[in-house]
Amino acid sequence: MGLATNASAAQARTDRTVQVTKRLRSLIFSYRWLALICVLVIWQVIALTSNIGVLPTPLKVVTAGWELVSTGLFFKELAASMVRILIGFGLGMLLGLIVGVLMGARRFWDAFFQDLVVLGLSLPGLIYALLCVMIFGLGLTAPVVAILLASYPFAAVNIREGVRAIDKELIDMARVYLVNRSRVIRQVILPSLLPFILAAVRVGFTVAWKVAVLTEVFGAATGIGYQLRYNFQLFSMRTMVAWALLFGAVMLVIEYGILVPAERYFARWRPKIKEVI
Amino acid sequence: MTTAAITVKDLVKSFGEPGHEHVVLNGLSFDVEHGTLTTIVGPSGSGKSTLLNVLSGLEPYKSGTVQIHSGERSTTDLGYVFQSPRLLPWLNIIDNIMFVRPKGVQEGTHRQRALQYLGMVGLKGVEQKFPHQLSGGMQQRAGLARGLAVEPEVLLMDEPFSHLDEITAEQMRTELLRIWQETRRTIIFITHDMQEAIQLGDRLLMLGYHGQIVEDIKIDLPRPRKFTDHAFVDFYADVVSRFHKMQSDRAEELAVN
Amino acid sequence: MEVTMRPNSVAAGSGWTERLGRAVKGFLINPRWLALFLLLAGWEALAIYRNTRVIPRLERIYIELVHIISTGLFIEHLYASMVRIVLGFIVAMILGTTIGILMGSRHTWDEFFKDTVLFGLALPGLIYALIAVMFFGLSILAPITAIVGTSYPFVAINIREGVRALNKDLLDMARAYRVRNWDVVRKVILPSLLPFVLAAIRVGFAIAWKVNTLVEVFGTVNGVGWQIRASFDSYSVHGMLAWALLFGAVMLAIEYWILVPIEHYFARWRPNVGQVI
Repeated sequence: MGLATNASAAQARTDRTVQVTKRLRSLIFSYRWLALICVLVIWQVIALTSNIGVLPTPLKVVTAGWELVSTGLFFKELAASMVRILIGFGLGMLLGLIVGVLMGARRFWDAFFQDLVVLGLSLPGLIYALLCVMIFGLGLTAPVVAILLASYPFAAVNIREGVRAIDKELIDMARVYLVNRSRVIRQVILPSLLPFILAAVRVGFTVAWKVAVLTEVFGAATGIGYQLRYNFQLFSMRTMVAWALLFGAVMLVIEYGILVPAERYFARWRPKIKEVI
Repeated sequence: MTTAAITVKDLVKSFGEPGHEHVVLNGLSFDVEHGTLTTIVGPSGSGKSTLLNVLSGLEPYKSGTVQIHSGERSTTDLGYVFQSPRLLPWLNIIDNIMFVRPKGVQEGTHRQRALQYLGMVGLKGVEQKFPHQLSGGMQQRAGLARGLAVEPEVLLMDEPFSHLDEITAEQMRTELLRIWQETRRTIIFITHDMQEAIQLGDRLLMLGYHGQIVEDIKIDLPRPRKFTDHAFVDFYADVVSRFHKMQSDRAEELAVN
Repeated sequence: MEVTMRPNSVAAGSGWTERLGRAVKGFLINPRWLALFLLLAGWEALAIYRNTRVIPRLERIYIELVHIISTGLFIEHLYASMVRIVLGFIVAMILGTTIGILMGSRHTWDEFFKDTVLFGLALPGLIYALIAVMFFGLSILAPITAIVGTSYPFVAINIREGVRALNKDLLDMARAYRVRNWDVVRKVILPSLLPFVLAAIRVGFAIAWKVNTLVEVFGTVNGVGWQIRASFDSYSVHGMLAWALLFGAVMLAIEYWILVPIEHYFARWRPNVGQVI
């Protein structure tokens, strides 16, 4: 009896090692690395051989990037940009929440805001950025208003879908059992809305940082966008690309490392997430 | 001083704008005694569900009176079991039942009751699970436990077993009878299934096409009732023939017009 | 023994006052016109109150609009922009479709392209525009490259979904009946792919004109983007609004009156149009 158990335990251990090795192997020899290598090679080749224009080699970009990080300049400018992003994004979410709830709850408001929202969704961020810089000049107002106007429609459409998706049958059930209003809001309406709120946050954030950078390119003395324009004007390609890649990396980490997992976590109990854009 | 649990008098309910009204319940009057199981049948559109919605307060009514007389044993007046479970998908079973805790009841007390009634419906041990982890029948049973846990004076049930497969539905009927005999709640049970109505009820109300009660039949058969018993079959045949008469009367009516 | 009286309906909003109010609102005031009116009136009021150049009166904007159209200026620059958009869009479609087909048919290709596509989706158009202009200067390759870079990922993921949605059962059925290859392609594969292709076209086009405008802002001598830049430099809000409104109207007209109806027409047989972003 004892021998048999030992044998099966050993078998289990071997199975596990095989599995782990398989996973490690697929991680290392994945085609994704191959793609990255291809991209770097192509980049390097173009940088070295092209006579059309200037393209810095990957190494130069990395060096420039390292300088920005180690001197702390990157973080300083990142902070300046993040302040604008967060304020504008916060206000945009708030406005989007109000408009979305109104649109989802009453047909009148749905028709009322419809064109504004469609317009807001289609208008390129560039226009928001330029207009706000022209009207509000340098300072905090321009980027905040631009982000507010650009991001609220995305939040609104998601919230609207969320409100419309609230299950009337559950509300009726709560009414029959005379559940008091605050409990209904807390335990029926908010949980139902939560996945949509998170989708709104994710999309809104994406729009927010892109418009923020655009605004900074045209009308700011600090921030990532300002640095992009500054280096563009100086023809300092490697630094410009370094700024872009560093900033992009940070934004991607926030989006895919925080927002997307949060959205998935809070929607566990749902069979399928329905998101709008 | 009435001994009835529910008193309905001259209840009128209609839909639509004044002038284009469609009268669904036309002067219904009936009393329901405490602790009885009343089944309500009728053709589609006869207003069965509407009646339940009016009794529960989900729908307003035009005129008449509806009164529910709560006894001492009750912590609230109504429980409702719907056709679909209507459980909050983001709460587990025990939290779902806690969600409808009546105003005067302490949290601890209600939790105890919730576990008790979950056991009674055969769902012991699943309190922590989420609705999507349970089968349709189990979800429906959870809905029943929720309705029982508020210890209502009246339990309203709107075709609660119609979406279940026949085997599960049969089990649920047996369990419902057992629970009813244990707790002696007043139950109003709507169904389109005549056999189910006779199997379960002390009394059968048949609604007609014009929003009135066309039949009010006391069912004296001893329980447990089996469809294979002679008495049951005779009773069933009688009720069905009355139902058919109502249907043919209606057909005549429509043909004339 | 107590008597519990249920209130006559725990529902709300069914009294005659509410119904009268709803009728008034619906009849007299069309919400969409109301919104438009309030927007214009608000702008005009603000323009009068502030009396500053950066918030022009509506009339000033209108005059500019008429001027741009009547002098043929609009057509001239619209044409310049459209050439770039169409060329870039076509290349983006070709590249995106190829990659999408590859990604959809073989898992290895999916793995290979996955990250570059994701990267392309996330990177803002601004970066593409700046790098393209820096590299290609004033050449037409700048906008084309930028359009291709931003647009191809969206096309690719739509085509990929279309390929993955190909009904294997139908293909097997065709093979069992020995249907000629050409017919299989024509009657099974293409119709199945069509809705996805159209979705890809719609999204790709929307991205294309937005990025193109950005490129024109930074590095061209004509085109709508260039005009917008010129307006920005001369603080001409009326000019920018006029150009933005006209151009936006044309682009939205193409999107909503041509592309979307075509898409819906060819997707008639589907229960729901499966589009990716």
